[in-house]
Amino acid sequence: MNRCGSPFWLAACSLALSLAAALCWLAQPWTGHLSPVLAAALYLGTTALALGAVTAVCMRWRRHLAQGKHAVQGLLSRPEHDFQDERPPAIPLPPDHPWRDVLISLAERYHSLASRLQESEDARAALQVQLRKQAAEHERASLVLASLREPVLVVDEYGELIQANPSAERLFSFTAEEAYRRAIKNITRCQQLLDLLNDTQRRKSHTIRQEEIQLVGADGIPRWHEVTACSFASAVAKEAETLAASDSGVLAGTQPSQGAVVVLRDITDQKAAQQRYAEFVSAVSHEMKTPLSSIKAYVELLVDGDAEDDETREEFLNVINSQSDRLHRLIDNVLNLARIESGVVEVSKMSQPLNSLLAEAYETVKPAAEAKNITLVSAFSPLYLTVLVDRDQLLQAAINLLSNAVKYTPEGGTVTIRSRDLDGQVQFEVEDTGVGLSPESCERIFDRFYRVKKDTHMASGTGLGLPLAKTIVEDMHGGRLSVRSTLGEGSTFIVTLPSAAELG
Amino acid sequence: MSHDILICDDELHILRAVEFKLRRAGYSVRCAEDGGKAWEAFQAQRPDMLITDLQMPVMNGFELIERVRQADQGKPSIPIVMLTAKGYEMACRELAEQWGIQAILAKPFSPREVVEQVQAALAASVSQS
Repeated sequence: MNRCGSPFWLAACSLALSLAAALCWLAQPWTGHLSPVLAAALYLGTTALALGAVTAVCMRWRRHLAQGKHAVQGLLSRPEHDFQDERPPAIPLPPDHPWRDVLISLAERYHSLASRLQESEDARAALQVQLRKQAAEHERASLVLASLREPVLVVDEYGELIQANPSAERLFSFTAEEAYRRAIKNITRCQQLLDLLNDTQRRKSHTIRQEEIQLVGADGIPRWHEVTACSFASAVAKEAETLAASDSGVLAGTQPSQGAVVVLRDITDQKAAQQRYAEFVSAVSHEMKTPLSSIKAYVELLVDGDAEDDETREEFLNVINSQSDRLHRLIDNVLNLARIESGVVEVSKMSQPLNSLLAEAYETVKPAAEAKNITLVSAFSPLYLTVLVDRDQLLQAAINLLSNAVKYTPEGGTVTIRSRDLDGQVQFEVEDTGVGLSPESCERIFDRFYRVKKDTHMASGTGLGLPLAKTIVEDMHGGRLSVRSTLGEGSTFIVTLPSAAELG
Repeated sequence: MSHDILICDDELHILRAVEFKLRRAGYSVRCAEDGGKAWEAFQAQRPDMLITDLQMPVMNGFELIERVRQADQGKPSIPIVMLTAKGYEMACRELAEQWGIQAILAKPFSPREVVEQVQAALAASVSQS
C-alpha cells in the first residue's frame, strides 16, 4: 500500500494540476482583463477545487479497492471444509460496493464447485473402500477354491473359462493364466462333460445337474468323477432377462444363457470299492450255492428213496455232512474277513516269541500231515525272535499257510516251516513239495475265492484261507506275505514282520 | 435203446448226484470233470444230450457249448441243459437264444428237475427230427 502510495498521489496531483491549467487556459478570454492578483487567486482557487475533487474521487476508489481486495483475500483464505456449509459464505462489503454482486456470484460459484469436489472426494473414498472389500472377498473366494481338493471350473454365459482352481489345472493340464477366457471346449475334449455343461447353461431357471464321467488325467489314467454342474445367472444374463421381460424390443425373445460352476469329485476308489463289494457278494453267494447244491441234491435222493442200500445211504449222508462243514467253514471265514476289515475284531498286540507260536501251528496241522503221509519239518531260528502281534490272529495265519501246504502236497511229500532273523525284521516261511503254481496263479493266489481249478480235487477249500492270512499279516500287522513257486515243484509262502525288539 | 447223456461239472458230488438220478431214470450217462474232458468225450462219441456246468477249469461251459454247436453244423443240434451257481447276474433268456440252450438251472437245483428237463428236451428233439 505504502509502496504504491507515492505514484498514486503524484498521479492525482498531476491530474488536478492539469485539470486546473486546462480550466485556466479555457477561461483566459474572460480572465484577461482581471487584475493579476485576482487572476492568480482565481487560478489557485480553481486548482485547489480540482485537486480536492480528484482527491475525493481517488480516495473513494482506493477505499473500494482495499475493501474488494480484503473480501477476495478473505474468500481465498477460507479453509476448504468451510464450503461444506449449505449456504455460500457472506461477502463483507457494503451494499453500495461496485464489486459486491460480482464477488457474491463468485463466492456462490466457488462454493458450488467446492461442494461438488467434496462430494466427488467422498464418492472416491467410498469406491476405494468398496474396491478393497471386493478385492478381499475375491481373494478369500480364490483361497477357498484353491484349498479344495476337488477340481472346480467356473464358466461364463459365453462358455469361456473365468475361474479354475489348482486341482482343475492339474486335472485338465492348463494354467489359469493361459486358460483365462478360453472356450471350455478348448480346455477339455470330454464330450460328456461339455454336453452336461451345455445342458446346464441352456436351462432357463437355476439348475444343478450331476453325472458320473470318466476323465483321463495328465498321467493318462482314466478316473471316474462325479461331476456337479450348477448354473448361475451372471449380471449380463440378468440384464438381458430384464430387458426381455420388459419387452423393450432390444433383446426380447432372445434366450439368455447362464454361467455355470463345475465341481468334480474323484470317485474312482469308491466305484472300485462298490465293484469289489458286488464281486465279493457274488463270489460268496456262488461259493455258498455249491455246497448247498450238493446238500439239496443228496437230501432229495434220500427223500425219493433213490438210495437202495445202506452203503449208498451212508455215502449220501457223508456227502451232506462234509458239504455242511464246508458251508460252515465258508461262513466262518467270510465273517472273520469281514470283521477284520470292518475293525470289529479287537486286535491286542503283545510281544510274542515267534518260534513258540509257530510250534503251536505246527502241532495243530501235524495230524492232517500224518494222515497224508507228509513229512512236516520245523527249522526254527536258534535266536529268540520276538514279534509284536495279536497271538490268535497270527496263529490263524500260520495255520492257514501250513494247512494250505499240506492240502496241495501229494502224499509222501514234505512241508517245512522255518523262521529267521532278517536285518531288524523277522521272517517265517512255509515251503512245500506240492503241485506248485503257475506265474498267473501266483498273481491271483491271494484273491478271494480264487482256487487253482486243476487242483480243486486235491482238497476242499473255501478260497478264503490265503486272503485271510494276507489280511492278518499285512493289514493287521503291517507285515508282508508273498509267494515264490514253480509249477510242479512246490511253493514257498514267506511272511515278513517287524521285529518287536526293533519296534520297542 | 437208452439215450446217451454227457454230464460235465467240476463239483464231483453234484456230478455224482445227477449221474445217479439219470441212471435211475434209465439213461446211459457219461461224466466229465472239466470242459476239456467233456470235449474229448464228445469227440469220442457224440451224445444225445449235454448237461454242463458254466464255471469249470480247462474249458468253461460257454467254450464247450460253442465247440459243440460248431460240431453240430449240418446235423440236428443236440439239446443242452446248463447248470450254474450264477443266478441273477445272468441274462438267461438271451443266453438260451444265443446258444440254443433248452434250460438253465440255477444251483441249488433239484435232481428231479434235471430229469424232467432232460425228458422234455429229448422228447422235443425226437419230435423235431
